[in-house]
Amino acid sequence: MQENYLAKWLSGELSEDELREFKGSEEYASYQKLKDVSSRLAAPEFDADQALQRLKDEYIDNAPKVISLNPFKKFLRVAAVIAVLLAGSYFYINTLDENVTTEFAERSEVVLPDNSEIFLNADSKISYSEKNWKNKRNIDLKGEAFFKVAKGKKFTVSTDHGTVAVLGTQFNVENRKGFFEVTCYEGLVSVTHNNKEIKLPAGKSFLMIDGKIVETEVPNGSSPSWMNNESSFKSIPLTYVFAELERQFNIQVSIENIDTNLLFTGSFNNTDLKMALKSISTPSQTRFKIDGDNVLFYAGNTQQ
Amino acid sequence: MSNVCEEQIFSKVFKTHSKTVFNYIFYKFGNEEKANDAVQEAFVKLWQNCAKVSPEKAKSYVYTVANNLYLNVIKAEKVRLKHADSLVKDRTNESPEFLMEEQEYKEKLDNALNALPENQRTTFLLNRIDGKKYAEIAEMEEVSVKAIEKRMHLALKSLRKHIDGI
Repeated sequence: MQENYLAKWLSGELSEDELREFKGSEEYASYQKLKDVSSRLAAPEFDADQALQRLKDEYIDNAPKVISLNPFKKFLRVAAVIAVLLAGSYFYINTLDENVTTEFAERSEVVLPDNSEIFLNADSKISYSEKNWKNKRNIDLKGEAFFKVAKGKKFTVSTDHGTVAVLGTQFNVENRKGFFEVTCYEGLVSVTHNNKEIKLPAGKSFLMIDGKIVETEVPNGSSPSWMNNESSFKSIPLTYVFAELERQFNIQVSIENIDTNLLFTGSFNNTDLKMALKSISTPSQTRFKIDGDNVLFYAGNTQQ
Repeated sequence: MSNVCEEQIFSKVFKTHSKTVFNYIFYKFGNEEKANDAVQEAFVKLWQNCAKVSPEKAKSYVYTVANNLYLNVIKAEKVRLKHADSLVKDRTNESPEFLMEEQEYKEKLDNALNALPENQRTTFLLNRIDGKKYAEIAEMEEVSVKAIEKRMHLALKSLRKHIDGI
């Protein structure tokens, strides 16, 4: 018998000899019955006309042109409006300056488009134009910040006390009410104050308190002490020391019977309030009292 | 030049092949609803691509689309077939024993068909019910005629074994 002879038998392709042999076999009757009965089988009803009508109704005659295209057009219209709005606001926002602000007891680090870095001390604010940065490297500063400037075009820091211009260096600018200090840690910084330009080489500081330029000593280290969580002062009036204390710990300082014009030299830790208070009170011979967010400094010999 | 995009031609193609597409999917999965959906989807695709499919290719196109639709997606259910002549009322000359036996045999055949591998069942039923030649089934299933003959042979063998209880 040839291969797949059952299939060949069903399709009438067996030779006469093979057919005779197959008919003689004992399973022939079974196969014959299977052939008969299976020829009378039927699949479930299928109404081709109805199916075609359904197809035409749903997909061909009207559906694709009216129902499925229109919502998409509407969607396109909405999408176009949104795209225009987005593009418009994108360009508008792009022309706005970038702003970074720190609150009391907060620090922030900003990386500028040219990879220059700015570290913002507490209660400070910078703004600059990201879009125009390539043409004009200018930062508006309120408060205190340490700058690591990447080499390139002139980099300026504008404050209400004066302008600091550099080419590529590391420096600190502190611009508070009545207080303006610039310290250069690397390279050369030029400070313009009252239309007078002062060149500041590495290791030099420019300090102005209450409109008067004050001689100050050479700072130690390669970055301002606040970068290492310490605020240090050399012959600075107490009022500025207290102001810094308020900024670092987000507290209210009040004073009683203390001359805040006394000069203070020393430093305080920016993470531990009690330690910081002691660091101020001991050299200035004052006492302090803590009440929640309020700290009262009073003269050492005052009766409480 | 005739084109499937012409509605008359499309209707003709539909009437000629939709029943076989329906049966084809039904034999595979035993699900009437899916078989009906397959017909709709296959012919919608044909309509959408009518410019690219010639009337001669339309037949194999719809089989391929229908087949691909449920590839690996649905599990086969029981294929429930009918006796075509059970609807004929005038067969009164059969004895009750004979009719009982026929009924019993039909149930055995149903069970045996459901026990077959999907491809053997589809081949067997396309031939027995739709009268498709092996060559036509080979085209639908995209295999050789010899492979179809093999499926048919194996299908007959296991059906008999199942029915005779060997």
